[in-house]
Amino acid sequence: MRSSTTGWLLLAPTIAVLVLTGVLPFLYVLAISFFDWNLFAVNPEPRWAAANNFRRLVHDAEFLKSIWLTLLFTLWVVASQVILGFALARLMMRDFPFKKVFRAVHTLPLMIAPIAVGATWRLMTVPGLGPIPYYLKDWFGIDYRLSMFPDQAFASVVVMDIWHWTPFVTLTILAGLSNLPQEPVEQARIDGAQEWQIFRDIVLPAMKPVLLTTIFIRIMDALRVVDEVWMLTQGGPGAETRFIGLHIWKIVFPKTDYGYGSAMSLLTLYMTIVICWLLYAAMTARKDRAS
Amino acid sequence: MTSMPGRRGFLPIRTNTFDRVFISVVLFVAIHLLWMRFLEPALPLWIATALSVALGALIVRKG
Repeated sequence: MRSSTTGWLLLAPTIAVLVLTGVLPFLYVLAISFFDWNLFAVNPEPRWAAANNFRRLVHDAEFLKSIWLTLLFTLWVVASQVILGFALARLMMRDFPFKKVFRAVHTLPLMIAPIAVGATWRLMTVPGLGPIPYYLKDWFGIDYRLSMFPDQAFASVVVMDIWHWTPFVTLTILAGLSNLPQEPVEQARIDGAQEWQIFRDIVLPAMKPVLLTTIFIRIMDALRVVDEVWMLTQGGPGAETRFIGLHIWKIVFPKTDYGYGSAMSLLTLYMTIVICWLLYAAMTARKDRAS
Repeated sequence: MTSMPGRRGFLPIRTNTFDRVFISVVLFVAIHLLWMRFLEPALPLWIATALSVALGALIVRKG
């Protein structure tokens, strides 16, 4: 009993901070989502709206499109980053000339603020100024104009995010690979297993917890991307790169539609939790069946 | 989830009480959103609430 009280006392500051910075804001947003509250409306006071904000949400074509675009973006960036990150981590497990220089340079994008990444890519992609449109035209004959072609804008945002966040995935996987026990791999080699078999049957299952954690973090980050995309495309052309975060920002700040914006934020949180949980449950179910 | 003691019900994974309450809440929200999107013009929302609560109770008890 006494040790339990001490435990709770030691936990109290952390719990207090979590309640103040996590639980209370969540409850506040949850409450606001049931009100009609717009500072620019004729009546700027909050008025009870029951589930109307959520009703409006599921019929809002622009918002549904932003969800679809965000899911597509998340799928592209997370899949690419995990594949690339794994390949790079495997490469860095080996010795090669200038490995330390390569590792340092490779990690640099991680240290740059997202807003600066967006600004840099914006400068690189402005037609008539940036090198990307110039070389794409010169080498491949591609007319690259972010503000005109939705596919190019979307691809650019995806490539920018991959460039920015792959080092994070690489470093996490590298840490996992460095801690893998070497005995099973050596035994498999002695038994005549091919490199591909060792990777599929030993390395990949052992790396599952690390991969899962990395994928969760990247999914959560990708679903709430705002600043990089805002700097590069401002959500355009039209609304072709207006992901959920940007859409919510537009509703909450310039339009001051707080009730509706809160409902959108809650749906985004719900989506993030469900996606991560489904992924986790799928992997746990497989483990359950195996045992 | 796996490290905690759990049980096997009709759900495809081993779950504890928290998992089953969580699944019920997730389904509650999903059913209401889908109902508002597709069925509300024909059927009122309280039917979705009744269905979700019943499904939630079933999951928490037998899931």
